[in-house]
Amino acid sequence: MKRHSVRIAVIATAAILAAGVLSSCSSAAPTGGSTAASTGSKTIRVTLANHVWTDAIKAKLPEFEKETGLKVELSQYGEDQLSAQYNVKLNAGTNEIDVMMYRPLQEGKLFAKDGYLANLSTDVKSDPAWGWSDFQSGPVGSTTYKDKVVGVPIITEQEVLYYRKDLLAKAGLKVPKTMAELEQAAKAIKAQNPGVAGFVARTAKNAAVTQYSSFLYSFGGDFIGKSGKSAIASDAAKKAYAYYGGLIRNYGPANVSTDMSWPEAMAIFTQGNAGLYTEADSLYKNATDPAKSKVADTVGFAPMPAGPGGSKAYNVPSWALGINAASDNQSNAWKFVKWATSKKLTLAVQQAGVPSARTSVWANKAGTATYPADLAAAIAASTKNGIGHDRPLVIKVPESRDIVGDPLVVAITGGDSNAAADQASTAFQKLLDAEK
Amino acid sequence: MTDTLTVQPELIRAKPEPERSVKRRSKGRAYPIFRVLMLTLTVVLFVAPLVWMVMASLKTNVDIYDPGKTFAFTPTLDNYINVLSRNNYFTFIFNSFWVALWSTIFSLILGVPAAYAMSRFTMHRSAMVVLMARIIPGVSLLVPWYFIFANLKMVGGFGVLILSHMFVALPLIVYIMISYFDSMPLELEEQAQVDGLTPIGAFLRISLPLSAPGLATAGILSFIFSWNNFMFALVLSGANTKTLPVAIFNFVSYASIDWGSLMSAAVVVTVPIMVIALFTQKYIVSGLTAGATKG
Repeated sequence: MKRHSVRIAVIATAAILAAGVLSSCSSAAPTGGSTAASTGSKTIRVTLANHVWTDAIKAKLPEFEKETGLKVELSQYGEDQLSAQYNVKLNAGTNEIDVMMYRPLQEGKLFAKDGYLANLSTDVKSDPAWGWSDFQSGPVGSTTYKDKVVGVPIITEQEVLYYRKDLLAKAGLKVPKTMAELEQAAKAIKAQNPGVAGFVARTAKNAAVTQYSSFLYSFGGDFIGKSGKSAIASDAAKKAYAYYGGLIRNYGPANVSTDMSWPEAMAIFTQGNAGLYTEADSLYKNATDPAKSKVADTVGFAPMPAGPGGSKAYNVPSWALGINAASDNQSNAWKFVKWATSKKLTLAVQQAGVPSARTSVWANKAGTATYPADLAAAIAASTKNGIGHDRPLVIKVPESRDIVGDPLVVAITGGDSNAAADQASTAFQKLLDAEK
Repeated sequence: MTDTLTVQPELIRAKPEPERSVKRRSKGRAYPIFRVLMLTLTVVLFVAPLVWMVMASLKTNVDIYDPGKTFAFTPTLDNYINVLSRNNYFTFIFNSFWVALWSTIFSLILGVPAAYAMSRFTMHRSAMVVLMARIIPGVSLLVPWYFIFANLKMVGGFGVLILSHMFVALPLIVYIMISYFDSMPLELEEQAQVDGLTPIGAFLRISLPLSAPGLATAGILSFIFSWNNFMFALVLSGANTKTLPVAIFNFVSYASIDWGSLMSAAVVVTVPIMVIALFTQKYIVSGLTAGATKG
């Protein structure tokens, strides 16, 4: 009796599994397709990250719905939660997402390689008035995969120097323009103001990589050399590691933690406990908003100080809009993307404090009117000389950041950062080889 | 026997103490001091984050980062107003409650008879299969689940959330109840059957009412697990069915974190479950001491 029931159970399970597999094969979603004519439903499902950009767009949504007669269903998540969602849902071939906000540098290559992002090459060129050529070339490069456009950049980010006007004035110093001056200023501020650090920046190995990248470029280095090999043990990179680590070790906050991302570093700066701070400009409102910052009146902005390789900050698209390749509502999804990235909306969003990727908006005076003048100037400088990436452009970005960031932590804690760079370079090269 | 575990430590501590103090005087004095120290330490360790959370929820974003204003600050209710009025938190509270309630009820309906059968008919291999559900990490099931439920057009509804939370609750309930039924004397049911009840009647009229404390323990634990579950709700919920742990992240943005609102939302998530736990804990303990085993 017992045997019998077991056998029946096994057969039934096998049958159910087989039926499931068969039905899943027949209904498998088309992948990697283009925005071929598909009538789709009247509802567009849009997944966005929590961001000022999202808030600004959300406020304007009724206009879009009125204009087009379409309905937008919006889901919003924090950055990491959004990532987790995509990993599960896109992997399962979902068609429940039409428009997706994603991070071109963090996941763009992975998503494009796996065919999650629809090819927008013909769409972006379909309407000259909308103006694809208006988008900055650096960000566009990051949303293009193998000559196919897979996303429209919406938010850009540049690294700038945040500084305290009062502390620099007290020290009788000008705004640092070179790395040597930066170190000098950090030293002077730390010496004159007990309890105040001369310089602060991110210290966690993964989070610091992006902010370290501008130092690396300004010292004449990069993560990956021209030959496609790891370049993080080059002389320039070793100098940059030692310099960044040394600044924090010698002139940073006392007992500095090596686990600081921007919320921690920004808190030190906005509480008035640091004089100089290199960080992404997209965070500037944290420093200038009196509800969040004690130094709102005295904060100034300047371009990245120049190193031996010049002043080379990153200029990257931190976020872009893409269309899910498995969506069966792609033409309507494109309507939304086009609307959200139009000149008019881009201007409105930039005025709300989100640096955009459109040249015309930056050229427009109204586009920078809401920014502190020195910040607008610093951004303009970074955009001009900017490098289009702030982390290694690989598929396994999180892993590579851990590897590349390790010598930073060693440098901050006073270890032998040169040896750490050599070691990291070997590991990084292995990762690069594995991805070939 | 596991059902009585919660009371045992107290019994053990309470009884042997007088003997010890008679035998070794010096140790008799050291022990209470040690005990008080350790208890204080434990309480401080556990309560400090909660206190910090509550205090931060009453501060402005500038004050939260200011070490000088850790204890002395001007409290404000703005964060709570922001969370409760402007962010639809009542919807999320309802969602969490609804999902936790039904996943617990359905798990009890399915799990308790199953546990009874496994206990009375010594189906230990079946019990092992149920335990497998606890051993397999939930993450590994998310992709297939999402795939299946998306094809069934169930993603974003309450149904799928309740089902997925039952995956956590059911094995828990079965295991708690197996041990509870194991500890219940068989004679009670035999007696009932002698008096004319069918086996099912004996279960429904005798065993089930007597296992109320066990049911309470299992039910409350499964409610708490469901209330706190983040992973399943993150992927399987929709914009209108988000549960509290997922909704909390609305206050973490790419370029700004609203710590004040985040902390007050955390208080909103924590307080109901703490209140439930505090009140029902009393019930569980009294229920256990008046249990059928002593009957």
